Amino acid sequence: MVSGDCCTKYIRIDPSGMKRVIARLDIKGNKLVKGIHLEGWRYLPDSPNDYCNKYYLDGIDEIIYVDAVASLYNRDSLKEIIKKTTDNVFVPLTVGGGIRTIEDAIEILRSGADKVAICSQAVKTPEIISEVASRFGNQCMVLSIQAKKNKNGSYSVWYDVAREKTEIDVIEWAVRGEEAGAGEILLTGIDHEGLEKGMDLELIKKVSEAVSIPVIASGGCGSSTHFADAVNSGADAVAVAKSLHYGKMNIKSLKSELGKLGIDIRK
Amino acid sequence: MSETLHGLPDKVIFCKKCCISNQRPSTKREFSKKTTKDTETVGFGDDGICDTCKWFEFKKTIDWNEREKQLQALCDKFRRNDGTYDVIVPSSGGKDSFYVAHQLKHKYGMNPLTVTWAPHQYTQIGWDNFQSMIDAGFDNVLVTPNGQVHRVLTKLAFENLVNPFQPFIIGQKNVAPRAALQYGVQLIMYGENQAEAHNKFDENLSPLMDISHFCKKENEDLYFGGVHINDLKNHGIEDKDMFLYKPLEESDIRKAGIEVHFYSFYKNWSPQENYYYAMEHSGFKSNPDGRSEGTYTKFASLDDKIDGQHYYTMFIKFGQGRAMNDVNRDIRDGFISREEGIELINKYDGEFPSKYFQEVLDYMGITAERYWEVIDKARSPHLWEKVDGEWRLLHKVH
Amino acid sequence: MKIVTIIDYGMSNLLSITRAFEHVGAKVKIAESSNEIEGSDYLVLPGVGAFPDGMKELNSRQMVEPIRNHAKTGRPLLGVCLGMQMLLTIGHEHHTTEGLDLIKGQVLPLPKDIIGFKVPNINWHEIKMPSDGRWQSTILSQSKDLTDFYFVHSYYAKPDRMEDVLATSKFGNLEFAAAVQHNNVSGTQFHPEKSGEEGLGLLSNFLKL
Repeated sequence: MVSGDCCTKYIRIDPSGMKRVIARLDIKGNKLVKGIHLEGWRYLPDSPNDYCNKYYLDGIDEIIYVDAVASLYNRDSLKEIIKKTTDNVFVPLTVGGGIRTIEDAIEILRSGADKVAICSQAVKTPEIISEVASRFGNQCMVLSIQAKKNKNGSYSVWYDVAREKTEIDVIEWAVRGEEAGAGEILLTGIDHEGLEKGMDLELIKKVSEAVSIPVIASGGCGSSTHFADAVNSGADAVAVAKSLHYGKMNIKSLKSELGKLGIDIRK
Repeated sequence: MSETLHGLPDKVIFCKKCCISNQRPSTKREFSKKTTKDTETVGFGDDGICDTCKWFEFKKTIDWNEREKQLQALCDKFRRNDGTYDVIVPSSGGKDSFYVAHQLKHKYGMNPLTVTWAPHQYTQIGWDNFQSMIDAGFDNVLVTPNGQVHRVLTKLAFENLVNPFQPFIIGQKNVAPRAALQYGVQLIMYGENQAEAHNKFDENLSPLMDISHFCKKENEDLYFGGVHINDLKNHGIEDKDMFLYKPLEESDIRKAGIEVHFYSFYKNWSPQENYYYAMEHSGFKSNPDGRSEGTYTKFASLDDKIDGQHYYTMFIKFGQGRAMNDVNRDIRDGFISREEGIELINKYDGEFPSKYFQEVLDYMGITAERYWEVIDKARSPHLWEKVDGEWRLLHKVH
Repeated sequence: MKIVTIIDYGMSNLLSITRAFEHVGAKVKIAESSNEIEGSDYLVLPGVGAFPDGMKELNSRQMVEPIRNHAKTGRPLLGVCLGMQMLLTIGHEHHTTEGLDLIKGQVLPLPKDIIGFKVPNINWHEIKMPSDGRWQSTILSQSKDLTDFYFVHSYYAKPDRMEDVLATSKFGNLEFAAAVQHNNVSGTQFHPEKSGEEGLGLLSNFLKL
């Protein structure tokens, strides 16, 4: 590649690349919402754009929007929110929630999203994964997996805002998703979600060992320690929701603490 | 004007704020019900807004600090420091009763005894949550009726009143006052006043439950499953089998100085808040199968296999099922818009509870054929029509 | 006000890069056909997707010659991500495809066998200045060494000449071209429109060339 005397001295130790801090915003209509175990949604006071702008200025690496009522009706307010986001937020934006057809994906991307996250429809018609990947590139297709642990220790795939259960094993599903063309996995541990008591490390470990694409862990991150634990279990990125929205954590101090814990983070 | 069943108003009106219709029944003394004919329905104003929504508007003006003081005073009045119980909390192990018991114990220094009237058939999650509640630190008395008697009463209630849940409701109303008499406790604390959901406005203005719900008048005729108590022997049930179902004597209650209060009078009640509270303070788990049949929620009414039938028979008789119930609550609490509520109702309300259907049939000892015969006869012509062999509601919320 | 022409060849979401340029004070023109490329002051070739598809679209819209002509005028040209890759001579994604040949070199797949580094490479990475420290008067003139930018790619550009490598980044033990430049033709593998304030700074610099 580039010859050695060009530039070789890097200050940072980069054993496996930087880990991304991602803000996850669940949206209903034009409001930000939050629940526990993807249930019992409450509204938050300001608009999603207000939260998003703040996170951008504080140094967030990426944003994920999930439309929590997309399965019920149309998406106009979400498109508005996406468009407004692109006005002043210049980091990658992933949008998911009720994306059912390639046309839905086109609409979302046209409004300004960089990647689409698909969960329920992928379960119903897995072909959509390869459709989106071949049309827009793998990096654009994020397979969103809602996972819940069964009594026997295995994990099953859920969908429709964790309302419906399947018999599909999460690990197998993640592997299938990668084979079909997904570029990233957004992995949500339902049982840990909304409680800020830590993430499902076993789940994260099993999935990241099974696939070779980046895994974004979501659900339960309430501190820098939780974040670090997730990374050490194999996550390439962590999506944080409740702790950010309710102000328990802020991005600047989170990143500084992560740095002290030895996690490689964008400045 | 079409014929109506169950004594319902023949014109169907939907509330402009929530999604309830004027067909929704309000709470009535179960043991005086002979047939389904004499249904009392929820209050509705001439402005097209139901009493319950009006109540929620009124709630915004309540001085909750003042109510808090009243609760403190009430607890101070009844609190005992001699190691005996000072409050009975009727508990299913669900999030609502957990919240009440936990608050009384840890915030108000009371010594609660939780009392549980057993569901017809425990679900695994119901049993687990019940145990979680006890493990969280509460004494509990579980009262389980004679299995054979309970089945017969359930069957009768289903066939005569299209309400297989009635034996549960009857026993549940009695179990706390009876325990209060037995343990010498004067204060009973329920969670939510049903008027918060579907009764007349005025019922919300008092913290007290009307004791006629569990007391009988002198020489009153008592009906169970729509059958007079003296006729139950034709179904193999003796008078001595009915101890847990018979309402109590009013004089006994008054003499003992028993008071039945609603916690929702003293606190701004929210099932969702209770869910959060239970999640944070105990091992409470929501439905492991995801959303409950007939609705979108995962944390309400999880403990009885017959729960689904309870809501389904309501859907058949009144056109309002489980999703409708949850939606109205969420709209009034400001968690969803009416628009979202309508979509959720269209998507989930009236979904047939197939999961435990066979078990319920076996429990009642009836065939599926008989089940559908009873169900179809309960569809009032002013609410239902049959199109191409499929039953359809004439009026959907809009 | 500076006018930036962004080429639309059906292979990219133009909204983000448009907004980013507008945010730093430029007026944006979208060129959907070949004659709209001519006469541009600042030309931008964006792109997300595969090299062969990108070249196919450019060819079918007869945009290849106008882009090359613009480069000859000496006015600034910026390729972003796939756009940058197509500036090179040859791409090896799926099969061998000819590129615009404005910077000599080839486009190769990222290695998939480096432990801890996943393909596609979706991440922030710091970029390093060449040892001859020549960021002045380039798109990176206001950027500090080791700044983080956002990368999303499965292939990387390998210019034949070291002098054409403007900045490098690391993928495991592979050092690759994060940015390239040959005279008035520049390119970034990363997305400046998605790299926060630093990325916006780079776009501002482009407008100062």
